[in-house]
Amino acid sequence: MRFNSLAFRLFATSAAWTLLVLPLAGYLIYALYREDVQVSFDAQLKKLLTALAVDSMNTTGDQPVPPQNLYEPLFEVTHSGWYWQVRPLDNAQGRTLVSSSLASEVLPSPYDRKFPTDLTGTRWMNVPGPHGETIRILEVIDTPGHEPDKTKYSVIVAGPLNWLEETVAKFRNRLTTALSLFGLGLMGVTLFQVRFGLLPLRRIEQGLSSIRSGAAAKLDGQLPAEIEPLQSELNALIQSNNEIVDRARTQVGNLAHALKTPLAVITNEAREDKSPFASKVAQQAQIMRDQVSHYLDRARMAASAGAIGRVTPFEPVAEPLVRALERINRDKGIAIRMSVDRDAKFQGEKQDLEEMLGNLLDNACKWGRKNVQLKATVSPLDVKSKTRRLAITVEDDGPGLTDEQRKKIGKRGMRLDETKPGSGLGLSIVSDLATSYRGSMALEASPLGGLLVRLDLPAV
Amino acid sequence: MRALVVEDDKDLNRQLVTALGDAGYAVDTALDGEEGYFLGDTEPYDVVILDIGLPKMDGISILEQWRRSERKMPVIILTARDRWSDKVTGMDAGADDYLAKPFHMEELLARVRAQVRRASGHAKAEIECGPLRLDTKSARVTCEGQQVKLTSHEFRLLAYLMHHNGRVVSRTELVEHLYDQDFDRDSNTIEVFIGRLRKKIPVDVIQTVRGLGYRMSHGSDEV
Repeated sequence: MRFNSLAFRLFATSAAWTLLVLPLAGYLIYALYREDVQVSFDAQLKKLLTALAVDSMNTTGDQPVPPQNLYEPLFEVTHSGWYWQVRPLDNAQGRTLVSSSLASEVLPSPYDRKFPTDLTGTRWMNVPGPHGETIRILEVIDTPGHEPDKTKYSVIVAGPLNWLEETVAKFRNRLTTALSLFGLGLMGVTLFQVRFGLLPLRRIEQGLSSIRSGAAAKLDGQLPAEIEPLQSELNALIQSNNEIVDRARTQVGNLAHALKTPLAVITNEAREDKSPFASKVAQQAQIMRDQVSHYLDRARMAASAGAIGRVTPFEPVAEPLVRALERINRDKGIAIRMSVDRDAKFQGEKQDLEEMLGNLLDNACKWGRKNVQLKATVSPLDVKSKTRRLAITVEDDGPGLTDEQRKKIGKRGMRLDETKPGSGLGLSIVSDLATSYRGSMALEASPLGGLLVRLDLPAV
Repeated sequence: MRALVVEDDKDLNRQLVTALGDAGYAVDTALDGEEGYFLGDTEPYDVVILDIGLPKMDGISILEQWRRSERKMPVIILTARDRWSDKVTGMDAGADDYLAKPFHMEELLARVRAQVRRASGHAKAEIECGPLRLDTKSARVTCEGQQVKLTSHEFRLLAYLMHHNGRVVSRTELVEHLYDQDFDRDSNTIEVFIGRLRKKIPVDVIQTVRGLGYRMSHGSDEV
C-alpha cells in the first residue's frame, strides 16, 4: 500500500480513529468497573459492620457480647485480611472482642486518628494491616444496649484492599486483551473493506489498459453507482477522441481537395506558357505541391498517432488493394500472389495500413515484370511483452535496387528520384508510418529478382 | 475520338478541354455531377475524365450508375483525395484508372491514350495498317516512313478508323465519336473528309462498305 493512495487514506483515517477511541473506551469501562467494585466492597464492609454492631451491642449488660452471625468465614482464617474488633474507646475499662483472624494484633482506630465521620456516623480509613497488606477499616462508635450513658466502644470491621485491586487488575487485563483483539479485528475489516471497496477502480484500470491495447472499444461492465459517471465520462472521452481523429482526417482530406485543384490549374497553366515568369510559377507550384503532400501525410500520421485502441484485420484491407492494383495494371498483366494469415490483425488505423500496403504494392506493380508477391504472417505471442508482431513482405520480379541504392533509400525521407512526380518510391511515408507504430521497414533483394520490402508492425 | 470531361473547377475544366482538344479529341464538358451523368449515360464516349468531388452528384455514384446500366467506356478518375482507400473505392466502382491532383497534363494524356487503345484492343502506342502508321503519342501519321500531313479533323477521322481497323464503322458512329454534342450532324462532312484522306494517303486503305459505312484494311490483311 503506497502512502499516496486511496487505500492508504481510507485505512489511515479509520485506523487513527480506532487507535484514539478504543483506549478511551477501555479507560472509561475500567474506571466505571473499578468504582462499581469499590462501591460493592464498601457496601459489604458496611453490612458486616452493621451486623457486628447490632450483634455485639444488643445486650442489656454493660459489656459487649461476642457476635453470633457474621456470615463471613474469612474472619476465622488467620491474617486473611478480613478482621473485626470491638474495643472500649479512650483506653476505658471494658471488654475487648476480636475476630480469630486477627490473632493477637490490634487494629488502629480511625477515631483515635481523628478521621471525620460520614453521614451515617461511620469512619473510613486505609492502613497497612497486621500482615503488611493494605486494609480498609470501618468504624462506628456504639454503646452496649445503645444506651448513651454507658462506655463507648469502637466497633471496627476491616477488609483487604488487595482483593479489590486484584479483582480490578484482573478485569483490566481481560479488558485490554479483548479490546486489543477487537481493535485488530477492526483493522482487518477496514483493510478488507478498502480493498473490496476499491476493486471497481482496479477493474477500470484493467479496462483502460485493454482499450489502449485495442482489445476493447470502451469501458464495459456494471460498475458501482459512484463511479458509473466516471465510466460514462471516460467512454464519452474515448468516443470524442476518436471523433476528433476522424474529424482531423476529414479536414485534412478537405484541405487536400481545396488546395490540390488550384495547384493543378496553376501547374498546367504555367506549363502551357514558355516565358521565364511561367517557368518560375511552375517551379514554385511544384514546391508547393510537394510541401502540401508532405504535410498532409504528416498531418494524417499525427492524427492516427492520437487514436486509441484501433484494430484492423489484414485481409479485408489487402484484398481490395490487390484487386484495384491488378485492375490498374491489367495491360501489363501483373499477377499479385497473396499468402496471408487469415486472422492476421494490425494494431492500428485502417487507413495507415492501406497507405503502407498501397504504396508498397503500387511500387512493386510499377517496377515488377509479371509477378508480385504479398505475404503476411503473425508471430506467436511473445511471453515477455505479451504482444504479437505482424510481418509483411512485398516483393517483385523487376530490376530491383543495388545495395548502394537500398542503403540510400533506407535513410528516412530519401527518394531515389526526386525530380519527377510519382517516380519517388513513396517509401519514406511507409517508413515513417511504420516507425510511428513502433515498427520498421527494411529493404532486401527478392529471390524473384526485384526488391523485397519487409514491414514489421504491431499485431493483435 | 470523343471524350467527356466532368470537372467542377472551371479553370481545370477549361485546361482539360483545351489539352484534349489539342490532342485531337472531340470534347464534351460538364461542370456538375448531374449533367455529367446524363451526358455519359446518353452519348457514346471513347474516354471519360471524371472528378470525384462534384456538386449535385458525386463521381463514385455517377460511375456506379453508368456501370450498372452497362456503360463500359474507359473512365479515368480524377481527385484530390489520394489515399488508397479512395483509390480502391474508385476502382471498385468501376474506374479504369486513377489520377491524383495535382497532375501533369502529359501524364493525363498518356493515360487517356492508353485507355482508348486498350478499349479498342491495341496494346502498343503505334497502330499499323499495312504501310500506314499512327503514333498515338505524337499524333503523327506516316506512310512507308513518310509523314502524312493532316488537319485536325482529318486526323481525328483517320485515328478513329485506325483504332477500329478491320471493323466496319458506320457513318453515324463516326459522327457520334468525332464531334462534340454541339456539332451540326446533318451535314455530309464525313464523306468530304474521307475523300480528302484518300487523296492524302498514297495507299488504298479506306474501303467503302456499301450501305454500312467504312472499313480500314490493307490488301495484304485480307484473306
